[in-house]
Amino acid sequence: MIEIKNVSQSYGRKEAKKTLSDINLTIRENKITALVGANGAGKSTLLGVLSNITPILSGTVTLGGRDVRKIKTQDVAKKIAFLKQSQQMSIRITVGDLVEFGRFPHCRGRLGQEDKRKVDESLEYMNLPDLRSRYLDELSGGQRQRAFIAMILAQDTPYIFLDEPLNNLDIKYSVEMMKIIQNLVTERNKTIVLVLHDINFAAAYANHIVAMKNGQIVREGCVKDVIKKEVLNTVFDHDFHIAECGGKNVCLYFDQVQN
Amino acid sequence: MKEFFKDNWKRIIIIVLFFGLCITSVMIGSLSGVTPSALISRDETAWDVLLYSRIPRTIAIILSAAGLSVAGLIMQAISRNKFMSPSTSGTTDAAAFGLLLSFIFLSSQPGIIQTIFAFVFALGSTLLFTSVINRLKIREAVYVPLLGMMYGGLISAVTIAVAYRFEVMQMMSAIGMGSFARLGNFTVVYIVAAPLFLSVIYASKFSIIGMGEDFAKNLGLHYNRVVFIGLVIVALISAATYVSVGHLPFIGLIIPNMATSFYGDNIKKSIFDLMIFGADFVLVCDIFSRLIIHPYEISVSLTISLVGGIIFMIYLWRGINGNKSRKTA
Ligand SMILES: Nc1ncnc2c1ncn2[C@@H]1O[C@H](COP(=O)(O)OP(=O)(O)OP(=O)(O)O)[C@@H](O)[C@H]1O
Ligand SMILES: [Mg+2]
Repeated sequence: MIEIKNVSQSYGRKEAKKTLSDINLTIRENKITALVGANGAGKSTLLGVLSNITPILSGTVTLGGRDVRKIKTQDVAKKIAFLKQSQQMSIRITVGDLVEFGRFPHCRGRLGQEDKRKVDESLEYMNLPDLRSRYLDELSGGQRQRAFIAMILAQDTPYIFLDEPLNNLDIKYSVEMMKIIQNLVTERNKTIVLVLHDINFAAAYANHIVAMKNGQIVREGCVKDVIKKEVLNTVFDHDFHIAECGGKNVCLYFDQVQN
Repeated sequence: MKEFFKDNWKRIIIIVLFFGLCITSVMIGSLSGVTPSALISRDETAWDVLLYSRIPRTIAIILSAAGLSVAGLIMQAISRNKFMSPSTSGTTDAAAFGLLLSFIFLSSQPGIIQTIFAFVFALGSTLLFTSVINRLKIREAVYVPLLGMMYGGLISAVTIAVAYRFEVMQMMSAIGMGSFARLGNFTVVYIVAAPLFLSVIYASKFSIIGMGEDFAKNLGLHYNRVVFIGLVIVALISAATYVSVGHLPFIGLIIPNMATSFYGDNIKKSIFDLMIFGADFVLVCDIFSRLIIHPYEISVSLTISLVGGIIFMIYLWRGINGNKSRKTA
């Protein structure tokens, strides 16, 4: 279980404006949690803090009851996989190499039979075997995004944190990606936290939504509790219109629909 | 079989070339007596020249070339900047300064002591330079080597001033000129084998470091520790090659750039190709330097400077233009 208590964070000096102030959050096991909020709200920072990559000013992050900072980094890497918002791509490595990196916490660079099987399986899962020997810098944005997700799958951790996994994906692949994420939860008991910008994807696929604004959590709860006009209006400083469609709430946020 | 050649032709070419160049390298020289027939007929002088002069020289070329190529590659991975190398970040110049101090304080010393001096200064200077560069957060990758060369120029100006003051200028400039013809300190070059071995062991960690700090941390790597080990490897290779064969400019910069464009950035897969590629390049330069005014030879660092300088200019030009076109886009 991952729990964070009274966490504050800031990138600059201590007096600088806090990017996260006094955050308390318990990640729900075997569920999809979506982080939503405007640009600069602190979503990426929170994910970094949860995965012990971004250092914090105060508070605690516990993994299974233990302070993550006291757990060996290699062991944390076997529990938590974190995919950054944007990937570096000037590097000439192949898709296969990248996915093999995902096995590093388990095999320290020397791939065994089991590791190779996991790599093949992850490539298969993300529909990538044909691109295996292609260089990352020669792929389309969406293909590259899938390759990075395959790497995270190969890391084979119970917790998976994805920062904007739908970046660069077309509608078909976005939906497919969300289905894969759902399957990971139902079939493999993973716990997933992801940052989503399209509020409708959060509404349709998340079990739990955390809405952030100015480094604080303004509302968290199930889809019904958060996908509400008054909540979304304050979170995004924008006028929302909620429509019902097939029993699900759909958010309309284009100016013309207001009248 | 056909598959094998198709998949590995890039590797096969440089390996075949490598053996050809090694044989050529040991066969040429000012003494013309070393021929296959002389060796077969067990001519003693021919064997002596081969064993005590030609082969050590060829080994020195291979080790220093492979070493500097690997050092450059590691620096480039760590800094995520294709323009980093021992000779464009002050590392080589600091090694020279350390060597000078060992001359002044301890006069003539065995190569190993000189290497330790050179190593300590190279490491200290590299740590300083990389941490300053990280603080400055320079956006344009091309400016880093330019700054590095200015910094290196500063160190070597101090080195020259001190050497002049203590009247060891001649010795310093003799060493500074890269050459494989010197025999005195050649044994030092064997030290390079140790950091090379270490870099093979750490190869996959360096690749992961090259993907960025957060990426590496996500995979449970101790980022700072791996960076430090990388810089120790770089400093040791730079020091040992400087003390034994002198300054070989551009190798650490252009070989990793050329090799990674052929073999990719996965260091674990490409490290051997890189070493062979670097050795091939320097062997060609050395053979050329020995043949052009046969039976005399020109300094190999002259040839390398010429060829390497041109290639470096091309990369620099591309780097600057690449940035411009990205900005206007
Ligand atoms: N490396 C950094 N150094 C300094 N400030 C940073 C850094 N990363 C983020 N910030 C600042 O911290 C705040 C929160 O950033 P964060 O990246 O967490 O936002 P976000 O919610 O993920 O936004 P987005 O939707 O644009 O990805 C922003 O004001 C940002 O400017
Ligand atoms: Mg973000």
